[in-house]
Amino acid sequence: MKHSLLITRPNFDLTTRYLFIWAEKIIGLAKEKCGKVFDLSGKRANRKEFESMMKKHEPNLVFLNGHGDSEVVAGQDNEELIHAGENEKILKSKIVYALSCCSGKILGPQSVKSGAEAYIGYDEDFIFLYEENKQTRPEQDKTAEMFLEPANQVMVSLLKDHSPKKAHFNSKKSFVRNIRKLLSSQSVAIGGSVVRYLIWDMQHQVCYEREDK
Amino acid sequence: MSNEQEIKQLVIERLKTLPDDTGLSIGSKGDFNKEELIKRVELGDDVGQKIIEVELNFLRGLKDGILYET
Repeated sequence: MKHSLLITRPNFDLTTRYLFIWAEKIIGLAKEKCGKVFDLSGKRANRKEFESMMKKHEPNLVFLNGHGDSEVVAGQDNEELIHAGENEKILKSKIVYALSCCSGKILGPQSVKSGAEAYIGYDEDFIFLYEENKQTRPEQDKTAEMFLEPANQVMVSLLKDHSPKKAHFNSKKSFVRNIRKLLSSQSVAIGGSVVRYLIWDMQHQVCYEREDK
Repeated sequence: MSNEQEIKQLVIERLKTLPDDTGLSIGSKGDFNKEELIKRVELGDDVGQKIIEVELNFLRGLKDGILYET
């Protein structure tokens, strides 16, 4: 199946810069696999443009990067892109992955109730460690990679036509692989410090699907 | 030492094992270096509480065999 993907990538602080850069890998893959890729990056990650692109192009996959809370996923400068009870109906028939804090708590299930095909997200803060000397080159940050590569596995799997449940499962498997790698590494102390945050993210990734699926 | 103090101390000792150049991003709560994290745990503010929550979650998970499950 040829997918079409809409991705939001705000970029205004350290966290969004890391997500912005790491999402580039997904854009690269999506360009190979998808019919169309709509990239709302930086200032283009605003509500007006998001809603307009969603209505005009009706992508079947939506990848949201940015800050959030239980009811909101935000774009550039924390402008709300989707707010539960306001505009989540825009996600109708879409498969959504929100790499964002907490939106799996309320926005996720509410989106599915309002017609989204599936919503994968996090029902708690998404936490990652990074190397301070890599802040300007996030793509070279091996510490952040341990978190962002398994997190992005959701999109890799969706683009390979896996079901949302399978994509969620594959992402968790990828977290487990990194946890095992760390636990068997020589730097046990460092590994031990990192593992608790990987387990946190893995445990708090959630997947909701329409019941008739 | 109260339970709360013991837990804080445990979390601080764990944070001390992080390499000095490591930072932690906690979504919209911000990003913090090792020293800031230790201070926040000592203070017990929302960031400190979150770090403690992660630690307690991990310890509970150990008790329930999470590392065997994974």
